[in-house]
Parts: sequence; C-alpha cells; structure tokens
Amino acid sequence: MLSIRNLTARIGENEVLKGIDLEVKAGEVHAIMGPNGSGKSTLGKVLAGHPAYEVTGGEVLFDGRNLFELSADERARAGIFLGFQHPIEVPGVSNASFLRLAYNKKAEAAGRDELDPLEFDDFIQEKIRLVKMDGSFLDRSLNEGFSGGEKKRNEILQMCVLDPRLSILDELDSGLDIDALRVLGEAVTALMGPDRALMIITHFPRILETIRPDQVHVLSAGRIVRTGGMELALELEERGYDWLKAEVQAPAPAMRA
Amino acid sequence: MAAVMERPLLPAILAQPRPAGWGPRRRQAETALEGQDWPGTGQETWKYTDLAALKALDFTPGALAAVDIAAGILPEARGSRLVFVNGRYDSHHSNTSNLPAGVRLLNLASASELAHELGTLATPGGTDPFAELNTARFQDGALVIIPKGIHLEAPLHVLFISDQDGGQPTCSLPRLFVVLERNASATLIEEYQGKGRTLTCAVTEVIVRENASLNHERIQRESAEAFHLSSLAARVERDGQYSCRTIAFGGRLSRSTPQVTLAQEGASVILDGLALLGEAQLADTHSFIDHTVPHCTSRQAHKTIADDKSLAVFNGIIYVRKDAQGTDAQQQCRGLLLSPQARVDAKPQLEIYADDVKCAHGAAIGQLDPEAMFYLESRGLAPALARNLLTYAFASDLLAGIPVPSLKRQLRQTVLARTNAEHLETLT
Repeated sequence: MLSIRNLTARIGENEVLKGIDLEVKAGEVHAIMGPNGSGKSTLGKVLAGHPAYEVTGGEVLFDGRNLFELSADERARAGIFLGFQHPIEVPGVSNASFLRLAYNKKAEAAGRDELDPLEFDDFIQEKIRLVKMDGSFLDRSLNEGFSGGEKKRNEILQMCVLDPRLSILDELDSGLDIDALRVLGEAVTALMGPDRALMIITHFPRILETIRPDQVHVLSAGRIVRTGGMELALELEERGYDWLKAEVQAPAPAMRA
Repeated sequence: MAAVMERPLLPAILAQPRPAGWGPRRRQAETALEGQDWPGTGQETWKYTDLAALKALDFTPGALAAVDIAAGILPEARGSRLVFVNGRYDSHHSNTSNLPAGVRLLNLASASELAHELGTLATPGGTDPFAELNTARFQDGALVIIPKGIHLEAPLHVLFISDQDGGQPTCSLPRLFVVLERNASATLIEEYQGKGRTLTCAVTEVIVRENASLNHERIQRESAEAFHLSSLAARVERDGQYSCRTIAFGGRLSRSTPQVTLAQEGASVILDGLALLGEAQLADTHSFIDHTVPHCTSRQAHKTIADDKSLAVFNGIIYVRKDAQGTDAQQQCRGLLLSPQARVDAKPQLEIYADDVKCAHGAAIGQLDPEAMFYLESRGLAPALARNLLTYAFASDLLAGIPVPSLKRQLRQTVLARTNAEHLETLT
C-alpha cells in the first residue's frame, strides 16, 4: 500500500529525514518509535503533506501513485489520515458541522452520496459510541477548550468518520489516561481490516499492547536503525534509547543517497 | 467671522431650521460648529480616515420615503420595533404592541419631556463635529426607557434606514436615547440599513443605572456606497452591566466612536466589535473606556477581517483614573488580512493612573494560521474551502453570543456570503 524509498526531507536548513525506507502492506500495523527529535513526527507530516517540510529526495508510492504529486487535501481524500499530536483549535466552527463537511468532501470525491444533517446525525451517533465521546462535544467548536485527552478522542472520531485506508497516528497516547487509551486503541483496532493499514508513532510501547504491531521500527537521527517485532518495543521500554544511539553512532553510516 | 472656508462642513444640513426641543443643547452644538472645518488626517483621531470622498459630495437632508422593510423584520421583535427612514419616524412600519406596561419605546419628537438628559453624555468639548451636527439638527429618533425592575423578554429593535433620494445623496441624523432604570434588564438592537449614496451621522446615548443590565447590539449594514459616522456615549452606574457589540459590514467609509464611562463602583462593560471589509471599504473604530471609580471591569474584543484593498483602523483607549483602584480591564484586538493590499492599523492603548489594577491588552494582526490550514486540508478540505472556513470561523466566533436567534442567523449568513463560504451554510 505504501512504499517509502530513500526518503529525505528538511525543514528550513535542517535535514530531518535522512533516507527512510519502509514498506507498509495492506492489513499491517507498523509502529514507529524513537527518541525525541529522531524524525518520527516529521515522517507523519511529510506523508500527510505538511507545507513546511521540503522533500529533498527519494519517493513515496501510495497504492502505486506518486504521493508527492498530490496536495494535502487530495491525499486525505485518497485515504491517508494523520492523527495530530497537537490537534488545532478552531473556534467558531462546530465539531459536528466540520465532521460532516469533511465526510461529504470525501464522499463527493469517491462518488458516494453526501449525507444531509439528519442522516449524518444517525451516522455520527454510532461513531461517538465507538470512541465513547460525550455527545455534547459535537456541538462545541472544533477542539476549542478540549482537554488533551478529548482532543485525541476527537482525532479518532475524525478517523472513524473518514474511514481512511492508511492512518498515521502521531503520539495518540500522549495526554491520554490508561482507560481512554484502551478505548481509543480498541476503536482504532476495530477500524482495521485487510485493506487498511496503520502507522503508530509513539515513544512508549504501552499503546502497542492494545494495537498490536506487525513490525516495530526505531528511528534515530532521521533513519530507521532497527526493525523488529513487539519484542523490540519491549526491549526499548526496558533499556531506553541510549544504547541504540551509541550502537548506531559507532559504525559510520555508509549509505548516501 | 472666520475666514471663508474652501468647503464648510455639510452646509445644506446645518442650514435647516433648528428643530423643536432641546434648545440649549442644540444652541451649544451650533456654537461648537461655528467656523468648523472638516476634520483632516493631520488630526490624530482622523489620521487614517481620509474624508476626501465624503467632502466631494453634496448631501441634502433626507425625507421620509416609502421603503420595504420585509428583510429587516426580526420575528422576536415583531411587537417591539421602531423604524426610522432618513432620520424620520416611520409610524407605518413601527410596531410597539408587545411591550410590558411602563416600558417606553417611542419616537423622541413626541416625548421630548421624557428625555431631558439627552445630550448630556455625547460629545463633550465638541471633539466630533458630526455628533455636534446631529445634536444641532436631528429631527427625530428613538427613546427607550426601561423602568425599575423590569426584565424585558422580547428584544427591542430600532431600525434606521437611509435611502438615497433619487440621484441626490442623502444625509440623515438618527438619534437614540436609552435609559435602563435600577434593576432593569433588556436587549436592544440598534440597526442601520440603507440603499445608495447616503451619509448617516448617528448619535446614541445610553444610561445603565444601578444594578441594571443592557445587552446592546449595534449592527451597521448600510450600502457599499454609504458613509456612516456614529458615536456612542454610555454611562454605567453602580453594579450595572453594559454589554455592547458593534458590527460593521456595510459602508464605503464607516466610523464608530464608542465611549463608555464606568461611573460608579462595580460597573462593568463588555465592548466588542467586528468589522468585515472588502473592496476599498474603510472602517474606523475609536473607542474610549473610562474607569473613573474603583472596582469596575471592562472587557473589549475587537476583530477585523480585511480583504481586497480595504483598511481597518482600531484605536482603543482604556483610561484608568487615579481613583480607579481595583480596576480589571482587558482589551484584545485581532485582525485578519486576506489580501496583500489590505491593511489593519491597530493601536490598543492603556493609560493607567491608578496603582492597584489588573490590566492587559494585546493586538495580533496577521494571515490565517498555516497550521490550522494544514489541519483542515489534512481532513480533505481543499485549500480554498479551508481558507473560507477559517475566515468564517474567525468572525463567527464574535457572533456566537448574540441572544436573538434570527439576527444571529442573518449575520452569520452575511459572513458566510462575504467569506465565500455560502456552501457551508449548514455551519450556522
């Protein structure tokens, strides 16, 4: 579904991704772990099309299409979803209206019928049960005054509404208590299927106990330095990242794009 | 006699005979206007607001004309509405059938004895010649008196319509005088609509007495060719609450100069403003909040959206006098620029002469937040749609508190249309 080949990217003068190779197949869950500043969030933003990042090399194919030929909104309508680490507050736009607008734009692009407000209300009630959100959050302005946890819940609600093929969740676990993490982890898992894929960007393995990854990748200084299974995540929990950094720095990187 | 002026201030208006009532105040205003020239950009308070286009036109006094007010009717105020056309009372379109006993909502000319305080608040010192002109020559206007302890459910709607007289630009001088007696509360909508090339010089005076509460919505949606110069003077007494929101959509040039005096302890004011500008529109707000005594509160939020070649001016002074200890004042001005040629000149100002106060102010002028744009685009909204939605949201936020549903809906529709977001109508 997603092929990342020798991807390099920078923000300003700062090269953040220094040659990422990653293959995500339909039906798979990939965890992207790594210390602060390793490029995890950048990878998510580059895939979603954040304008502040410049892709300087490599390629990304999504269902065989060159991802970089699509703008951020086209990528979203094509089925890529980025769950933000820090969702943006938009005072003045109700959450429900925004969700319906986003849903209908995607439906329009896919040639499906748009939902009127009544139809959408039925649809959304089912989704808010899935993420156990209080219905009053639908009437509030988008993310305005939401706690960190409620914002994350709202991200997963948006994911449920948009039903993306590839979801990239950037630190879903930050700001969530254990119960909320379990609820959202279960909701995310329920959305998985043979033609869906997930990338979970996280510091901590805890979230991976609910959303079991097929592969765990460790990013350090803009490169994937280790790939393994769940045991790698558990090893990181035990030993931290420092040993990896030391190990990676020892042999000078041989590859150069 | 002063030297012959190149072009005196609105001679045809001042040349009208002095209308009946308020003789001393009118004479005072006439004196202030003697030898009065047009304000120029050399003056600090008119620095950004050039009146050249206004000076170039000849205005004649407007007459009562037949107008269609269907679009201006608010169902909530069906029986509590006064209508004025070109400053003249329109009894046919006014309807005051739904008012509790004792509440006065009538035209000033018929009740001058009830408004002896008129003119005592506005324009001290003759700093605003257009307000003086109003005092000298206004024909009629609205009088609102809410007696002690009355809590008015239905909103009061005072609608001032300006209508160009054939090919001739028309000037009107609307006047509004409002008193809330002790423990009274009400919602008042002061609205300006119009067609064609018109000049409106409006003066509103408001007195909120002890423990009374007034929610005052001031809506200016005159034509794109209109000139609108309005002044507001309000006095809030002990524990009184005055909440005032000024919305400027129309007008080629509009200026609003609200002055609020917190006159007794515990008084509070919320003074909000929204201007939505396009093409070559200019909207100017010069506000003055005067903390004269201890323990008063003021909150001011002013927002502007400037598109095309429009210009917004905001100059807000919060004045805290020496005796006004325990003052709590906040002022915030935000401007959104939608085009490289649009401009917002913002000057928030705190002048504090007391030492035990809590005051804060800030101004932020800029473009749409790129992170917010990306957030919406990452949900599948095309850039143009995301931009329109964020623009709408910026303005809509300030309309959220309007307590009259039909008015709120109308204003949101206008914002939707003006931000090219009509297709988002379900957002309202």
